Amino acid sequence: MNKKLVSAILCGTMILGAVSPVMASADGKKIALVGKSAGNAFFEIAAASFKETVEAEGGTVDVVYPETATADAQIKVLDNLISQQPDAICIAANDVNALQAKLEEAMDAGIKVSSFDSAPNKDSRQVFVNQAGTVAVGQALMDAVLDITGGEGQWAVLSATSQAANQNAWIDAMKTIMEGDEKYSKLELVEVAYGDDEPQKSTDQTAALLEKYPDLKVICAPTTVGIAAAAKYLQDNGSACKLTGLGLPSEMLEYTGADDEHSCPYFYLWDMQGLGKLSAYATISLVNDEITGAMDETFTAGDLGEFTITEADDGGTEIVLGLPLQFNSDNIEEMAKLY
Amino acid sequence: MAGKSGRSINNVPESTLKRTVLSWEGILVILVILVNVFCGFFSEYYNLNSLLRQMPVYLAEVFLMIPMAYILILGEIDISVGAIVCLSATMSCIVGNTGAPFIVVVITALAVGTACGFVNGFILTRFQELPPMIVTLATQIIFRGIAEIVLGSGGSISATNTDGFRMIAGKVGNVPYILFLVIIMVVIFAIILGKSTFGRRVYAIGTNRLTAYYSGVHVQKIRLIIYTMMGLFSGICALFLVSTSYGANTTTGNGYEMDAIAMAVFGGILSTGGKGNLAGGAISAFIIVCLRVGLGQRNIHAQVILLILGLLLIGAVALPNIVGQIKRAVKK
Amino acid sequence: MEKKSLVKKITGSREALLAVILILLFAVITVISPSFLSVRSITDMLKNNAVTMILALGMLCVMLVGGIDISIMSTLALSGMAVGMLLKYGHISNTFLAFVIAIAIGAACGFLVGMVISRADVPPIIATMGFMYVFRAMGYIVSNGGEWAGASALGTFKNFATTKILGLSCVIWVIIFCYIVFFFFMKWTRTGRKIYAVGSNASAAEVSGINVKNIKLMVYMIMGVLAGLGGAIQVSVYASAMPDMQQGGEMDVIAACVIGGVSMSGGRGTVVGALLGSLILATIAKALPLVGIDALAQNTIKGVLILAVVVVNVILQRIADRNALKGREM
Repeated sequence: MNKKLVSAILCGTMILGAVSPVMASADGKKIALVGKSAGNAFFEIAAASFKETVEAEGGTVDVVYPETATADAQIKVLDNLISQQPDAICIAANDVNALQAKLEEAMDAGIKVSSFDSAPNKDSRQVFVNQAGTVAVGQALMDAVLDITGGEGQWAVLSATSQAANQNAWIDAMKTIMEGDEKYSKLELVEVAYGDDEPQKSTDQTAALLEKYPDLKVICAPTTVGIAAAAKYLQDNGSACKLTGLGLPSEMLEYTGADDEHSCPYFYLWDMQGLGKLSAYATISLVNDEITGAMDETFTAGDLGEFTITEADDGGTEIVLGLPLQFNSDNIEEMAKLY
Repeated sequence: MAGKSGRSINNVPESTLKRTVLSWEGILVILVILVNVFCGFFSEYYNLNSLLRQMPVYLAEVFLMIPMAYILILGEIDISVGAIVCLSATMSCIVGNTGAPFIVVVITALAVGTACGFVNGFILTRFQELPPMIVTLATQIIFRGIAEIVLGSGGSISATNTDGFRMIAGKVGNVPYILFLVIIMVVIFAIILGKSTFGRRVYAIGTNRLTAYYSGVHVQKIRLIIYTMMGLFSGICALFLVSTSYGANTTTGNGYEMDAIAMAVFGGILSTGGKGNLAGGAISAFIIVCLRVGLGQRNIHAQVILLILGLLLIGAVALPNIVGQIKRAVKK
Repeated sequence: MEKKSLVKKITGSREALLAVILILLFAVITVISPSFLSVRSITDMLKNNAVTMILALGMLCVMLVGGIDISIMSTLALSGMAVGMLLKYGHISNTFLAFVIAIAIGAACGFLVGMVISRADVPPIIATMGFMYVFRAMGYIVSNGGEWAGASALGTFKNFATTKILGLSCVIWVIIFCYIVFFFFMKWTRTGRKIYAVGSNASAAEVSGINVKNIKLMVYMIMGVLAGLGGAIQVSVYASAMPDMQQGGEMDVIAACVIGGVSMSGGRGTVVGALLGSLILATIAKALPLVGIDALAQNTIKGVLILAVVVVNVILQRIADRNALKGREM
């Protein structure tokens, strides 16, 4: 990637002489990346790629974690950052609403605020980098459920906490899609269970689903901890119920396969590295005033190409990375090495 | 003779100056200075302005330390406070969003907190055999659970009517209102604890409940009052917390009980009861706040900050004891 | 006459009261959801609550001497994470060795905690609160700041939890083994009785020649060893090691003990009580999603149930005490 970039810059300079190409540069810019909590393998991957991208552009990145995965703890982190006056803050918010006061304060202090992975509300951010459109994720999962059930039967959702904003949005999207199309009419969503992203509780919930609905055909778990715990339970018990959802390839390697030995035929996630990279470019563009986060603005995200800012579900703006990626027995070995 | 813990040397006949400096509170004051000097060198952003600006979030927790000190001195514990904060923050946001005047919001927060505290106190005094830890553990789950039900799917609420909250988050110059309020509260409750009959009775109960009971102290009444007070202060904390966030969610106030206990204990309040005072708790709260702000400003990993605080907590309590033991050994 | 003594025996024993509560819980749940009372469902429940059940034994010892340990889940995370990372990077592959390492780390943590509490006279809640932060942070450091060790990284180690001996998972055998050992240890060994002695009256124990400090050190080491074992079990059962695993789980363990009648001021409590207490908690956790309670209300119901169990226990105990007194007056 670096080579490409360097050559791009070189070409640009050669052709245009002294005029530099319209390309984000982050020379000497300081950007802070705020995670949801430490020890989240999922976030680490995007953070590493974010950092790499910004550093390649000449800026510096501080990756900061709150002590727990709560908005309270992120408020303290934001307070610290406002004191440091970085050029931009990019945040994966632990709560939609509770960061508003601090993020407004940051923007008032001239700090650009972008977000990715999960968004704070529209008043608290300039732009949100969405890993995959909510509807696209819902569609992919819904089609997976349709495919794995064989077109009819009972299925259930095993989510993270009942408050997880992302998961709720995807589940709602799935429900809407299911009601909107005749081909899903033979599917019956029996329950949405919550495993709180704890292996223990997720296992309890999975077991309860199987006991309550003996004919359950598919569990859809749109959360990394939940899908791994459910996969383990189903596989250990040789259950006929299959699994799909959103997960990390490295966590799911053991459970993914098209045969009866494995509990999960295939599942989805998005390009985590791409998410980090796109967020980095979006943030740099904000810092350089190339975009303001308004609708229909466009910017170039390195080798990812050009992106347009669109309207988000909450009335704010977002940049959608792309479609979710499918992981199946063919590509999981390779992808597990990456993330 | 120095007390066993080595923290109270009130009975040692020494010069006043030496006594003041060597008391636990004296050591804490020296620590405040040291921590500030350290942070000043450590973080280029650390100054009075940034400290005052970052303080309010932490000060909200200091409110909890005040009644927690009373509870610890009773020899008891309340781990439901974080959940009470959550519930009253939630309710105050809901009431605020209906467009009610801010005073109603304030009353809601305080009333919800007080009610929760009263429930704790009521159960604990009605069933005295029950250990406070298990009761408050259960109510912790219940109070947060109620907040979860109230918030429903989504589990988060935004305070749309922020005028009142912006007002209480206001400042005189650079000094936030909350700092004045915390100091006033600490002084009032330190005096009640140290000088009033009520306060002395709290110590009496913490030292020996049975003796206190037989000497005519209304043990259960005092316990009920203190647990209710804990609830009330959780309500105050909730208000100021919302003023720094404009919202509440199901994780609001998570872990605050431990922070409050840590502040109190670091300030020399014995968790086994009967010992310590609020001055120590307040000074130690400032040490913790300064240290967290200073370390945080350099983006030290949150877990490393916790590690340092953990070691500090153990060290603060262990060191005087070890020194005392060595002294005794040498004397022998 | 005979009948009366039987009734008295049942109402007089705390464990019997708990057993009644547990049976009632079982009955109610089975009526609502018949699938609950099946072998698989029960073995699932035991396996899924193995960590709490095993740690409850250690907490029993700690609480018997009047202490408390809230650092256990951090110890668990540290030892579990260490084993996970060692397996992930191929430094070890032997399951037995992994268990030994986890237990050794747990023992070392327990030793540290025990030394600070017994030698430096730090109140247990403060010392373990400090170590809770310290060990958890060390867990993060061991995980390189937040890596996970997933199923594929754990090699044959995770098979421990799925291997069955005589139809029961190894994990359940570990629970049974621990409970039998502790039952004998607490009831019939000299050291076990010393723990009770120290908890009932530390100064009396001291005077009668018991080294109180060493007993205290020992109970925290027992706790540490079990937490280390719990770390290995946790990683094996869920085939995944994360630095934040079981955060807050210590409260479940403490609740299990208190429900089981273990006194928080020391000296009172039994292995059977700890077993019943943790079983009641496990049953509640297992039953909540099963009986069709709204997901949002599950936590509230859990809290109400815990409160109800301890309150009912107190009321029954009061009635039992009154009956006992009545007998004496006659």
